[in-house]
Amino acid sequence: MSVAIETEGLSRRFGPRLAVDGVSMTVPERAVYGFLGRNGAGKTTTLKMVLGLIRPTSGVARVCGVDVARDRIGAARKVGALLEAHGFYGNLTGRENLALTTTLLGCPASEIDRVLEVVEMRPDAGRKVAGYSLGMRQRLGLARAMLGAPPVLVLDEPTNGLDPDGIADMRRFLKSLPERTGATVLLSSHLLGEIEQTATHVGVVNDGRLVLEGELSRLKAGLAPEIVLRTGDDARAAALLRAHGLDVRVAESLTVALDAGDAVDPAVAGLTALLVEAAVPVFAIGPRAQSLEDIYRRVAVPAPRQAEAA
Amino acid sequence: MLAVLSVELRKLNRSLAAVLAIAAPSLIAAFLFFLVLRGDKAPPWDRLLEGSTTAWAFFMLPMSVTALTALVAHMEHGPRAWDHLRALPVPRWKLYAAKAICVIAVVTVMSGLNLLLSWASVSAAATIKPVMTPTGTVDVARLLLLNLKIVAAAILLTAIQLWTALRFASFVPALAIGIGGTFFSVVATSAKEGVFFPWQMPVNMLARETWRVETALALGGGLGLVALAVAIAHLARREVL
Repeated sequence: MSVAIETEGLSRRFGPRLAVDGVSMTVPERAVYGFLGRNGAGKTTTLKMVLGLIRPTSGVARVCGVDVARDRIGAARKVGALLEAHGFYGNLTGRENLALTTTLLGCPASEIDRVLEVVEMRPDAGRKVAGYSLGMRQRLGLARAMLGAPPVLVLDEPTNGLDPDGIADMRRFLKSLPERTGATVLLSSHLLGEIEQTATHVGVVNDGRLVLEGELSRLKAGLAPEIVLRTGDDARAAALLRAHGLDVRVAESLTVALDAGDAVDPAVAGLTALLVEAAVPVFAIGPRAQSLEDIYRRVAVPAPRQAEAA
Repeated sequence: MLAVLSVELRKLNRSLAAVLAIAAPSLIAAFLFFLVLRGDKAPPWDRLLEGSTTAWAFFMLPMSVTALTALVAHMEHGPRAWDHLRALPVPRWKLYAAKAICVIAVVTVMSGLNLLLSWASVSAAATIKPVMTPTGTVDVARLLLLNLKIVAAAILLTAIQLWTALRFASFVPALAIGIGGTFFSVVATSAKEGVFFPWQMPVNMLARETWRVETALALGGGLGLVALAVAIAHLARREVL
């Protein structure tokens, strides 16, 4: 597996606060890597170290094998970034803003039309950025990140401030990027749904530490399956199943947690037989789809609760 | 470096920089216009244009540098453009050096514009009141050299203003220093120590004593260039959080 971005023990301290604590992250080439965590978990600080905007207190960040601390400019040539603050000049048009970056990157002017086409912004490129909506600025930011076709795109909260249609568009767009451009996308967000629908790989950062990383489909497959039931008498069904040593949760619906690796179909059949034998009406039964939220909840426990658990 | 400079100049397009570049010298020209109209004895050209240069060096140049440096810095602070700029594969010192060169270039143009507009306003006033047509000829070379020395002597104050404006995201520290510096420059005009005060160095180019001219030029220009290099190096190295 070729690696686009790699960090080893990346840490950053701000005074007494350790914002990023030994993050070792691997972003495979052509992946859409969702970097997930609460606000303030250390996502933006990590991305800023990857981009060479701030220096790590310790550890190494590499982009396409180039050490960011040793060769910031070499690493920067491999990356296009969309940061939370867009940094557009409102007095200039979208096209003029892109032209400034094109000049600084030494790209041909034809690049401007290419990236405007990709984000479908050509018709609005002649307008002053001051009159753009947030969604248009976000798309223009993406266009700017793609100037010069860098092999890696680092996008910090790209759907921030977008309306539902804009979010859906952005999601489709990001998902198709590796296929369309061959780029690797490192995407930070605190929105689980956004990452789940976009990313092929995830990394979860919690209180500055990378607590989980991997291919999303594998992580989901590795979760213990759960079976959701709708019965005529949830209380009696729960008591019966608990009496058979099953892990049962009664909330909005009755849920039975299986052990990791358990086969779902035989379990469903067994549970149904058990309940029917005991004359508990069974209206519905089936496996619950595992979500990124299930994975996230297991690893990203807030600090006070972690202390309690310990 | 030329690419970064061209980007810096293009950023000023449709900003208020052009307004500022014209407004400041225009105020001196307007003052001169009414001064000539009020007079009853034709003054010599040299005295009028030297007066205009004095007003420029003494007050309007320091204030213009304050406003211009705040403007070019706020172009990046306002939309929080630093992260984008500093993440690009461009040596960071070039980004700051381009701003410094731009500011000095605009101040130079403004100095020339001050002379040109002053000449135009005096000519206009003399057309309205022919008795006030200035006497003698204009020593253009001497005036241009004087103005170049003024710009050179202003490099130290430009370095201080530019560093402050770029270092702090709020424009208040830069404005406070600029207004404060100009204020002390005005209220302590005759102070001998003024030659060592960055905001008085430009006006010292008009002093009669040679040592004052040389000292202010060496400090304002020579030390100014060193200060500018240190400021650029510091800004390029520091983290913008």
